[in-house]
Order: sequence, then structure tokens, then C-alpha cells
Amino acid sequence: MKMDAPAEAALRELSFAEAIREAMDIALAEDPRVVLMGEDIGVYGGAFQVTGDLVRKYGEERVIDTPISELGGAGVAVGAALTGLRPIFEFQFSDFATLAMEQIVNQAAKLRYMLGGAVSVPLVMRFPAGSGTGAAAQHSQSLEAWFAHVPGLKVVQPATPADAKGLLLAALDDPDPVMIFEHKLLYKTKGAVPEGRYTTPIGQAALCREGTDLTIVATSLMVPKALAAASLLAGEGIAAEVIDLRTIRPIDRDTVLASVRKTGRLLCVYEGVKTLGLGAEISAMVAESDAFDFLDAPIIRLGGAESPIPYNPALEKAAVPQQADIEAAARGLARGAV
Amino acid sequence: MPKVDMDMATGTIAVWHVAEGARVEAGAPLFDIETDKAAMEVEAPASGVLRQTQAAGAEVPIGQAVGWIYAPGEADAALLAAGAPADRAGFSSRDGSAGPALDLPQTPPTQPTAMQGSAVGAATDAPSQTPARPRATPAARKAATKAGLALATITGSGPKGRIQRADVAAVAPNPLAEARVAQPPTSPPPQSMLSSSTSPDTAPISGDLPVRYSGAGGRTPFFLLHGFAADAGIWAALDPLLPPGHRRLKLELPGHSAAQVRASSPPMEGFAAMCGQVRAQFDALDVGHVHLVGHSLGGALALALADTRPRQIASLTLLCPAGLGPQINGPVIDGILRARRAESLAPWLRMLVADPETIGWGYVQAAAAARADPGLRAAQAAWAEALFPDGTQAFDLTAALDRLACPTRIIWGRQDQIIPWTHALRAPGRVALHFLDGVGHLPQIEAPEEIAGLLAQVS
Repeated sequence: MKMDAPAEAALRELSFAEAIREAMDIALAEDPRVVLMGEDIGVYGGAFQVTGDLVRKYGEERVIDTPISELGGAGVAVGAALTGLRPIFEFQFSDFATLAMEQIVNQAAKLRYMLGGAVSVPLVMRFPAGSGTGAAAQHSQSLEAWFAHVPGLKVVQPATPADAKGLLLAALDDPDPVMIFEHKLLYKTKGAVPEGRYTTPIGQAALCREGTDLTIVATSLMVPKALAAASLLAGEGIAAEVIDLRTIRPIDRDTVLASVRKTGRLLCVYEGVKTLGLGAEISAMVAESDAFDFLDAPIIRLGGAESPIPYNPALEKAAVPQQADIEAAARGLARGAV
Repeated sequence: MPKVDMDMATGTIAVWHVAEGARVEAGAPLFDIETDKAAMEVEAPASGVLRQTQAAGAEVPIGQAVGWIYAPGEADAALLAAGAPADRAGFSSRDGSAGPALDLPQTPPTQPTAMQGSAVGAATDAPSQTPARPRATPAARKAATKAGLALATITGSGPKGRIQRADVAAVAPNPLAEARVAQPPTSPPPQSMLSSSTSPDTAPISGDLPVRYSGAGGRTPFFLLHGFAADAGIWAALDPLLPPGHRRLKLELPGHSAAQVRASSPPMEGFAAMCGQVRAQFDALDVGHVHLVGHSLGGALALALADTRPRQIASLTLLCPAGLGPQINGPVIDGILRARRAESLAPWLRMLVADPETIGWGYVQAAAAARADPGLRAAQAAWAEALFPDGTQAFDLTAALDRLACPTRIIWGRQDQIIPWTHALRAPGRVALHFLDGVGHLPQIEAPEEIAGLLAQVS
């Protein structure tokens, strides 16, 4: 249901980071056009040890350490994609992508359109994102909605190891630039991952838990938090449906609207800043659709605070939705208190 | 505006519980007052159609009218009078003619309204600040349109009196519910205490949860939820002792009647799924306020129902309820589920009570016969696996108990061998606790007079 993996593929427990590495390993092995690029991804193995020892297996020609210039590195990656390679570019922290916006927004996203389809930019970029590591305001942001605002880009946010692998391989198959936002706190989480090659379709949400009383639409790290809240609420007699959006551009409209038609109550949970963020888009999408008629309560958004992410650990936690926040909001919705 | 506080000069209407133009019954919650110190609910002094003269949020001096309740036929005349082109005449005539208004000194409005004297004034209740548009969710609006109902005639149960989808469903014509309510409660009580598939008061409706009716009268009905592996027959000894004038609605849980098991493919998703089915049936029955009574697993379901339908619960009584702790006697549940003959069922049934003599051989045989249906046993085994995996109560309603506002009591037998009575000690201080000596897990069978007496106190 979640992926078009071969049914007979064996499952093993892998961490989120290992699943990404396995996807890159498969891609490097089967397609000579695939190259990895990024700061310290070679001998050092990547800031979060995602590329690991791939440089020893494939050499420095294909696992390329780039200079400390995000704009330069991203420009080389866009050019490589334009001229026939399949680069996977890693930002050390997603925050540093702000330095490369020209190449991503004005070049990668636009060239196929502006050249009348004569070229495409089959570029994959990986963004370690999110808070919770004590890395403070310049290394903890969730900027995925910035990129999702740009036509020409696709933006995915895997929440499980299996989807991290499947979405990366799907991104490589895609002819256009795909941005992959990986929450740093997910890297060490484990889950069952099928062996071999498979893809998780871009633009398809996952219905992680069925329920009748309310719909929780979550992304990335908020998915496990929402699922934990939902199992707790089930013990109180509240059946929450949990949707892992997986792709935020393009959004899987059908899955979200079908669920809202069923439950009549919607809670959006995401780590990016709440205002003008993903939840606003989902809420508006529901309000503009016929699912509006099925709403039996106001929509609730839980998102990041109106603040840079604080360094103080208590404040850092308070700045983004936690499981208890999700529980309280879902309970209020289900009980008719809002 | 009643004086509810010693040194209160004005009160603020926090929320109207009854929408402008909607029908209200005497004794039903009418509005909430907020004073400097307290918030409290004011009940309707009479039945009729409500016309609000003060909107929610208004600060009103004590003694001043906040609205009028018109008896049938009264409203039209009063409205015409109020709109008549005769300056203040409308007000005085209404003061003279309006029947059961709030039982407080009535201060006439001091300022004339713009509508007075105009040709269309008759359509407006002159001094009121009628909200232009009722507060309602999109789902409620759609449901009302579909049912051909005006929102103004519907009472909202949501925050600030907002009309919810369920409020529309409650007043929309529901032939199924009416047919069920109309069933004459004539059949004698079932013979067996645990099971009674032979003499239902009411035939189950296909696909829905069966409801058995008894008693008659216009007072707040009792809504009874039986426990795991039992059925509505568990109330047979208690039923005739309950105070008169209250109808009894005895629901049968999912997977607990052969007809319901045959009519539906059982979704075994656990406690939330069972709750959802019970809640859906409760909503469909459209019974308004109830005295809710739940036994064992039914107690946990009653807690969850009270938590999500707080305005419809007049009181809550829990008999040896599940949901307040992890312990439960797994071997007894397994034993009852596995037993296919009276001989193997009897020892387990006798563990349900303090005095094994309570469970006679005839009773055991009747219970075994009722459990003969293999489909029913399979459904219950599947539910047991979902609800009590590894002999543990996989759900926790203590938080719901903390949130309850209605009068609540927990009754437990001190010799209960299925769920420890000490679970009751988790209840907050507001909840009344009754521990009965010489009683086990079936107080409604072992001590029906005591239980009926306690239920008479709340009704």
C-alpha cells in the first residue's frame, strides 16, 4: 500500500540514514551518471554520516567533496544535471540553502520552462532540516515551505526509513529537480526497509492510521509524534486518522480531502513556522473544496512558533509542536471543545 | 438576570445554550452566566420558543430580562404587537400578554428600535439583538439544507451555541429512530442473567447495535451498557427495581448479539472502534439527556461516551468499570470464551460473583445455550484480543474521568475477582465511591436493591 516494492522483497531494520545511504549505493551501482556532491561528504562521510564510506566504494570522482560555497556547489550541480549527469547534492544543513537560492529558484526550477522543454534539470538535493539537536537558530530551521512555493520544484519529506529510500530513488527517476527534506532527528530512527530497488511515488500521501473522529495531517518528524498521540487517544475512545503527507509539492489532495469528508475535523501538524506555512495551504485547500461542507469544527494548525529556534533546550522544545500538544489539540477537536 | 452571587450587580451572558427562535424545554440549560467570581448555568423556567433580547457577551443588570419564552400561539401575537406602528405600545402589550417569561422583574427596553413603525417590523422581535446568521458548522448547514430545516429552529450544542452536524441529525426526521422508540416495551424480562437471546424486548435492527427497551414515562431515560461477554439480559434483576417514570434503553455492544454479528463484518480495531459504534448508535437513537449506566467494559464505554457527549449526560453510574487500570483477570475471560459446554462455563461464571451459589445450574445452562453460536464466540474472542491483549486492559479512561462535570458515582464489589476495586481510588474527589461488601463483579445481580437505591438518588 505504501510503495511499489516487489512483494517478495525481504525487510530488514535499517536506520533512516542507512536507508538513504542504501538508496544512493543502489543508484551509484546501477547508473554511471549518478554522482554525489556536497561539503564533507567524502572521506568525512557527511555531517550526519549519511554518505558514510561510499567514497571508498565509488571513489572521489563520483562522491565529490565541494568547497565551502553553497552557491558554487549548487551551480555546479545544476550544470551537471543539465548536461547529462544525475547529481545528488547534499547541503550540510538545510539552513545553508539560503546561500544557493539563486541556483535552485531561478535556474533549476525555471530552465525547462524557459527553454520550451528543450532541457530538463534532473537534480536531487538533500536538506538535513529541523530542530531538536541544540544547534540553535541558524542550524535548526524548517524551510521546506519556501521551496514548495516555487513552481518547477518538487518537495518531499520522508518520515520513515522505507520512504526515505523509496522517495530518493523516485527523485532520481524524476526528470525535474526534487528537494528532499530530511529531519535530523529522524536519521537514527529505525524501521523495516525492503531490500533492493523500489520507489515511493512522489505526490502520494500515506494513510498511516485509520480513524473516524478527526484527521491529523502531519509531515516528517511530526508523523511519529502524531501516531504516538493517536494511539494514546485511542485508549480514550478517540479514533484519529493520521496521514503522512510525504510530498508537500505536489500535495496529495485526494487523500486529504477524502479523509476530511469522512471525519469532519482537521488538525495540521508541521514543524515549519505556522504562519504562511504548510498548514495554511492544506486548510485553504480544504476550504476551497467540497470537503468544506463536511467540516464540523474549525481547522486547527500546530506549527512552529513565531521565533527563531532558541538554543535553550526547553525553549527549543517549546518552539515546535510536541506530542502533548498534538494530543491536547486532537482531544479538543474530537470532544467538540473548539 | 438572576442574582447568583452575594454582591453581584450585573452578570454577563457567557453563552446561550438555546439558539434564537429555537424551542426550549423547562429545566434544560438556557444560558451561562459569568460574574466576577463564578460561572453558572441557568435553566429554562418554562417550555416554549426562545426570543433572546440580550446577545451572548452582553453585561446585564440583575433583574433585567434577557429573553422571553413564548408558549405555542403566543409568539405571533406578541411579535405583531411589537411591530405595530404604535410607538411604545408594542412593548406594553407584550408585557401584558407574554406568558412564561423568565421569572424576574421585567424592565422594558428603554430605546425605541429602528424597526418600529416600519412595514416589515412584524418580522422582527423589536428590542432583540438577533444575530444575523446562526452559528453553525459547514457540515451542519449542509445537513440542515438537505433535511429542509431552518437553522434558527435548531439548538446548537457546540462552543458558543454553534450548531453541529449531530444537532441537525437530532432534530431531522429519523424514521428508523422513531420506529425503534415506538416499540411497545411489553415483553417480560429475559430469563437468563448473562444472556437472553430468547426473549428480546425489541428486535435488533439489521446492521445497527440492538437496543432493548423497557419501562415507560417521560422522565430522563436510563441508558445501560453491559459488560464484555454479557448482553442486555444482565440488567434483568435490576430493571424492575429502577425508579418508575424512566424508560430504559439497554444497548447491546458490538460482537455481543448473534444478529448483530451476522449483519456486520466486525472491525476489530480495538476500543476506539467499539466506542465509535456505541456513540453512533447513541446519536442515532436521539434520546437527548440520559442517566448513563455502564458495567465493566460498558463502564469504560460509558466514560468515553460521557467524555464526548457531555451535554447529554444527566448522570453517570459506573459498576465495576474497566478503563481505570491495567489489571484484568485474563484467565476468566479466556475461560468464558473457550467454554463450549455448561460444565466448562460454570466455574468461570461463578468467579464473577462473591457467593458462587448465586449462579445456579439453570442459569449456567441458559448462559451456555446463549453462547452456542460459534460466530458470536469468534467475534467476542476477536474483540477480547483487541481490547485485552495479554490479559491487560489496553485502554485508559482515567483522563476522561478527570474531565467529567456531571454527577458521577462508581460502585464496586469488594470481592470483585475480575477487576480490582482499588482502581476506583484513581477517581477525583468529586466522584462518589461505593464499595459493597459480599459483592463481586456483578453488583446489578448480586445487590440489585442497593444499586437501584443509588440510581434512584440521581434520577
